[in-house]
Amino acid sequence: MSPILLRVSGLAVRYGDLLGVGEVSLEVFEGNAVALLGANGAGKTTTLKAIAGLEKASAGEIEFAGERIDGKPAYAIVGRGIALSPEGWRLFVQQTVEQNLRLGATALRERARLGELLDRVFALFPQLGQRRRQRAGTLSGGERQMLALGRALMSDPKLLMLDEPSLGLAPAVVDSLYETLARLRASGLTLLLAEQSLELALEIADTAFVLETGRTVLSGPAREIAERPELARAYLGAAL
Amino acid sequence: MKALFPRAGFAAGALLLFAAPFLTANPFYQRVAALTLLAAISASAWNVIGGYAGQVSFGHSVYFGIGAYAALLAYAKLGWPPIAGLPFGIVASFALSIVVGLPSFRLRGHYFSMATIAIAALAGILVTNWDFVGGAIGVMGPARARSFADLLFRSSLPYYAIFLCVLAILLLFTRLLQKSRMGFYLRAIGSDERVAQSLGVPVRRYKLYALLISGAFTSIAGTLYAVMVGFVDPNSGFGILISVNMVVMAALGGAGTLFGPLIGAAILVPLGEATNALWGARGIAYVAYGVIIMLLARFSPGGLAELGRFIVKGWRRRAA
Repeated sequence: MSPILLRVSGLAVRYGDLLGVGEVSLEVFEGNAVALLGANGAGKTTTLKAIAGLEKASAGEIEFAGERIDGKPAYAIVGRGIALSPEGWRLFVQQTVEQNLRLGATALRERARLGELLDRVFALFPQLGQRRRQRAGTLSGGERQMLALGRALMSDPKLLMLDEPSLGLAPAVVDSLYETLARLRASGLTLLLAEQSLELALEIADTAFVLETGRTVLSGPAREIAERPELARAYLGAAL
Repeated sequence: MKALFPRAGFAAGALLLFAAPFLTANPFYQRVAALTLLAAISASAWNVIGGYAGQVSFGHSVYFGIGAYAALLAYAKLGWPPIAGLPFGIVASFALSIVVGLPSFRLRGHYFSMATIAIAALAGILVTNWDFVGGAIGVMGPARARSFADLLFRSSLPYYAIFLCVLAILLLFTRLLQKSRMGFYLRAIGSDERVAQSLGVPVRRYKLYALLISGAFTSIAGTLYAVMVGFVDPNSGFGILISVNMVVMAALGGAGTLFGPLIGAAILVPLGEATNALWGARGIAYVAYGVIIMLLARFSPGGLAELGRFIVKGWRRRAA
């Protein structure tokens, strides 16, 4: 079996007195696609932010490629090879497509590789290449998702984390997004995606972790998880 | 040069700035012209952190006051010409940026703005109750020029020339910053700080750099003010209206644009002086400010710069 790339154990994040997540544990093997499932407010986004260094862990450990990364600043974590594509894309709408992509390469140590990485994104999304001097604010929904994904890829990550990538996209666009993700995975990239849509997530994922009110309540191979009754409970509440 | 300053409009604007005070022999107008440039320096300095980096400071009077007091204390305590206080003001502004910037940059948005107001108010109270720096009475400059270095002139024209040079340096510096990687990062921080952070921009470090630059140039503006006026007290150095002026001028012209603060100053300073001259009351200008702020917020949050771009785009579309 391939080595563990990311290990989160007993993670807790507090916002003042408020508990963001209480006890999240998960493991991501190199080259795998892992789905982080759960209802709204279960703690998926907080978990991804904590891994990316955007929220401070108040307890627990985060280990990436064998080294502790919790407590490190966000720029140090991106530099090690973890990229986060945030929910709602959050592009720099006043800036051009190319400027957005260049900002994605902020943490890149070898600046000489910038051109090569840009070419890689434009090969993946030829539409972005055609619009490279256009402002990001003028793009369509599908193109925005491409740009958000491209921007995250510009730091040449080993692990790509996506927060609700399909949210607000037309079904046809979602299909092509997931085709792209499958291609990225086939090229060796490790994926960790938080997704509300079970169907989509379990289609691409090897393993899945289910969060409920800030805890990992279920984990296992994606195909088996889909059959488990606890999954419905995590989404729909204890009454079921 | 074309890469640095595109468009022919720039040449026309620069020419107008050079010629403006010579178009009239009236000392009042010349003084207004000089004060306009001084306000443009403050507002352009504020623009680095407040415009480009989007960290709206309402406490920049602190830096202005530091610069003004540094100049007049250099005279009052050491007998030096006031302008010799300039480096002291800059060093003090650096120290303040580091002491204040590091903790307050943990705050975002409105909370940061409120913290800056509190700091400026604190500084004002401190100075008012500190007898060494003149307390509530303030500090005077030299009454008459002992040498040329005191930079005391009856006419406003020499001040105009000095201010124009400093403004030119500041705008050139800002232009270079705009084109640099740092300018790129600052704009990213200004438009979405969290995403900039997640992409690997060391957000707090770059905000501190921006504050260091912005504070230093604001303190230079304070020094120049003190050199020209020859007097400063807690209110004229640290008053909240000084901070508000910088914010409103930059916002009116266009925060985060190169010439926005200058345009804002060129409208608001003459407006303020005219209302003062016509009605004597100090307050009328601020009524106008209030109306301007409301109109901006409603119709053109990006200031006149945004409005201008919008109009030009409309023309082009009609022409095409």
